[in-house]
Amino acid sequence: MIVSTNWLADYIPLPKSLDALTDRLTITGLNLEGVEQVGADTAIDLEVTSNRPDCLGHIGVAREIAVIFGGQLCKPDPQPKATGPAAKSLVSVDLRASRLSARYTARLIRGVKIAPSPDWLANRLRSVGIATINNVVDATNYVMLEIGQPLHAFDFAKLKGGKIIVREANPAEEFTAIDHKTYTLTPGTCVIADAERAVALGGVMGGADTEVSDATTDVLIEAADFDALAIRGAARRFNLHSPSSYRFERGVDPEGIDWASRRACELILQLAGGTLCEGVVEAGPARPQAAAISLRFAQVPRLLGVEVAPSECRRILTALGCRETKATADTVETIPPTWRADLLREIDLIEEIARIHGYDQIPEDARVPMAPSSRSREDVVLEKVRHAMTAFGFDEAYTLSAVEPELVTAFRPWGEAAPLATRTPVLRRASALRQSIVPSLLGCRRTNETLSNAMIELFEIAKVYLPRAGDLPLEKRFLALTSGGGFVEVKGVVEAVLRQIAPELAVQVKPAKHPLLDAVRSCTLEVNGQPLGVLGELSKAGRQQFELRGAASIAELDLGPVVAAARLVPTAGVLNPYPPVSRDLNVVFDEAVRWADVEAIARGVAGNVLDAIEFQSDDFRDAKYLGEGKKSVLFSITLRSPDGTLTSEAADAVRDKIVAELAAKLAGSLRA
Amino acid sequence: MALSDFIAQLDVLEAEATRAFGAVADAAALEAARVEYVGAKAGKLKEAQQGLGKVDKADKPAAGKKFNEAKTAIEAALAAAQERLAVGAETSAQAAFDITRPGRPLRLGKLHPITQTIERMKEIMGRLGFTAVEGPEIEDNWHNFEALNIPLSHPARDPLDNFYLATAAASGELNEATGPDGKPLLLRSQTSTVQIRVMEKTPPPVRIVSLGRVYRPDTADATHYPMFHQIEGLLVDRGVTMAELKSTLRMFCQAYFGGDDDVHIRFRTSFFPFTEPSVEVDMNWPKKAGGTGGWMEMGGAGMVDPNVLRAVGYDPEQVTGFAFGLGVERICMRQHKVRDIRDLYTNDVRFLAQF
Repeated sequence: MIVSTNWLADYIPLPKSLDALTDRLTITGLNLEGVEQVGADTAIDLEVTSNRPDCLGHIGVAREIAVIFGGQLCKPDPQPKATGPAAKSLVSVDLRASRLSARYTARLIRGVKIAPSPDWLANRLRSVGIATINNVVDATNYVMLEIGQPLHAFDFAKLKGGKIIVREANPAEEFTAIDHKTYTLTPGTCVIADAERAVALGGVMGGADTEVSDATTDVLIEAADFDALAIRGAARRFNLHSPSSYRFERGVDPEGIDWASRRACELILQLAGGTLCEGVVEAGPARPQAAAISLRFAQVPRLLGVEVAPSECRRILTALGCRETKATADTVETIPPTWRADLLREIDLIEEIARIHGYDQIPEDARVPMAPSSRSREDVVLEKVRHAMTAFGFDEAYTLSAVEPELVTAFRPWGEAAPLATRTPVLRRASALRQSIVPSLLGCRRTNETLSNAMIELFEIAKVYLPRAGDLPLEKRFLALTSGGGFVEVKGVVEAVLRQIAPELAVQVKPAKHPLLDAVRSCTLEVNGQPLGVLGELSKAGRQQFELRGAASIAELDLGPVVAAARLVPTAGVLNPYPPVSRDLNVVFDEAVRWADVEAIARGVAGNVLDAIEFQSDDFRDAKYLGEGKKSVLFSITLRSPDGTLTSEAADAVRDKIVAELAAKLAGSLRA
Repeated sequence: MALSDFIAQLDVLEAEATRAFGAVADAAALEAARVEYVGAKAGKLKEAQQGLGKVDKADKPAAGKKFNEAKTAIEAALAAAQERLAVGAETSAQAAFDITRPGRPLRLGKLHPITQTIERMKEIMGRLGFTAVEGPEIEDNWHNFEALNIPLSHPARDPLDNFYLATAAASGELNEATGPDGKPLLLRSQTSTVQIRVMEKTPPPVRIVSLGRVYRPDTADATHYPMFHQIEGLLVDRGVTMAELKSTLRMFCQAYFGGDDDVHIRFRTSFFPFTEPSVEVDMNWPKKAGGTGGWMEMGGAGMVDPNVLRAVGYDPEQVTGFAFGLGVERICMRQHKVRDIRDLYTNDVRFLAQF
């Protein structure tokens, strides 16, 4: 809302300092957006919150100034002289859509002379950035900017049958607005019609046919109330946002309707001459008086933490326009003014007292009682995971929760349900809520490749959204990563995270089947038959889909089981005091033999003297030395007896027993 | 020989020898100087020693003491010269090993600046007694609007201001995605939803912060992104006042930004459906702490609206509460001088490496 200081000064003496004025208005609710000098006038742009439509007119802002700085608000009392015949003998108002318009009033002035507005009026409108049209239209705009009540002037001669009908638009009804565009209307839209057709989109825009022109002699002045939601819908639907719709969306003062109508007529008579017909033609009931609100003075310090004297509370409320009906030492009962539909409850009055008394009066060094706080298990674990990942050389990424629809289907090991989608994309084409973080990270990988960044090691911890019919989706938190390393490197990272954070988690490895991943060099991880994660190198098709030039691998891990199994408070065990004995083994197997089986057998055989078993390599597969389809598996064992120093002979015996068992169960043979 | 002559003779010798040893530049010169001054047969020191026998008997102890001092000084000069030249001998091995070569590179990844900001906020609020909680990002009508005192007629519900959700049917048609109440689901537009979820299942007192992603249909530009993060604080108890709200915010800002400088909080009147009174929160950010010295917008706050308290089954006559919500990106960007919010979500590793 742009206000002119000259204009405000009509109603209230302004403080000398403009800064003092705008500073105080900013604190009390009219946030300063800007100040501009317009000729001899100053335009102040104030942000008006949606609960304060009363400040969408100069009188409302002047009232705020009066309350804050003191002084008497001087509000005009328009009493235009009606010398013509009764208006209702010439025009009728039929309110058929009381849901869309609660009240409609019309006044009629005949014999006006349309001309440009005088300078004083044109300057005022110019100051606040409103174009001047002619004396009649300018008068209605002036009154809207004065009191916040939008008005409309019809060329009465063009209204067929001398009739105003307020009704819902008919299906597919056509309407040509002042902007000379034709709109196809839909039910739910409020139209003003004459005997034959729609002549205005109620509260939004007038019609081209009935607009006031130079030839106009008789004008009908509409002052009405339109339903906020219906107005907002219409303004949005037809993309017709006007100062008028802006005000009706926020609600107008029901008592201000007649005042505005009289004020406009008074101005038109003064500017354009003519004869005002007697009386007002109206439809719809006047709004019932608001109920009295009781304020208990003790509630003020209870909420604000600062004492405000009852006399000061009463002064503030009265200055704002509340009417006291009863006052005791402890309470006051007041009826809020009609222009303050936001004042309904005791707490609303307390806010008024707070903002006018001044938020600067509220101390910022009050004692806040101490209380213990704790960190959730999840918070602690996530921090550990993040720090492990950065220690492993990964940078943390943040990506959008929504992706292009085809990226959901590109990779979703966690669910197959059709994704949730936003009706308008969150960003560009990203409308589908993701079911895996991997596609987003691969997108980042591509971005970084495009930027010629050499080292692209990224991870993200975020939620995925698995739909459930008729319920909130399952939001699961995952760790995802992308790396330039291969299967072995990525598996190493995942294993290290699990070992560091949830060493008790018994993870099984199974082959993975995802088109995105290389069929051989990928796997899924399971815990008790439940999926825990997936990792692997990208297949050629996968790299093509994400337009990746270089090698790339990914991993994704469900953090739910990790958080549940995390060892938050490690405990110290007894360290074996005896020296370790190590043995290296080199055993030849069929290529299809799995290390997991080798390890399980070795562990089983060694029993409690096994301190560690370490895989070294299974890369050597030369048929010349090993035979066709064979591999040489190199590993080492570290042995320690809990009972005493293990002899070399005892260690050899354990090794030999392992070799024998591997030979028996997996057809392994010690490589000479 | 007079004692004074003997002493003078030794002083001259000591000065001469020290100068000579100090000047030698290589092993040959050192050897020559060594022979000249401390040679066992004809060195000048040896020669001077003979003078010792010629002083009066009574002066002998003083002369002997003087001789020993001169001898120690000359030998020290020799040792220093030897050491100086020996070091030089090692230079070829040193030249071959480059101590300026870099160590084996270890790559330490970086936490995203948003994580760093959030963790710091959580930590400070934790010290102030607020426990961090989380809630779903996809919400139902009740938690995102109804319980937060946002009526059906409120513009905050407008489809253009929210990401309402749908599911794609097999035909490709979009069906409204609904919650347990049969009303449409949406991406939460604020973290206040978590307040409701916590209060619904916890009797007062409640003292929490919730942090997380929120979504609003803004066109992405340097200062807007359709997804961003909020920190939301809530304290409900008997006798909670706006003074405590202001003081809590001051302590938070002081801990976060202030250091040794005093930070102050300013409230400006505002309007939010879920708080009454409602205020915008500004902080004066001291220049010394990297700020502008002026008022910096932090977010919104207020006293929990009685309708919200009633919606979760609390009695506003028994308890009061305050709530505040701050934008994480704004604070993060100001502090780290990030110029474009989109940089936070592009994940250019060169950008990330700076934090």
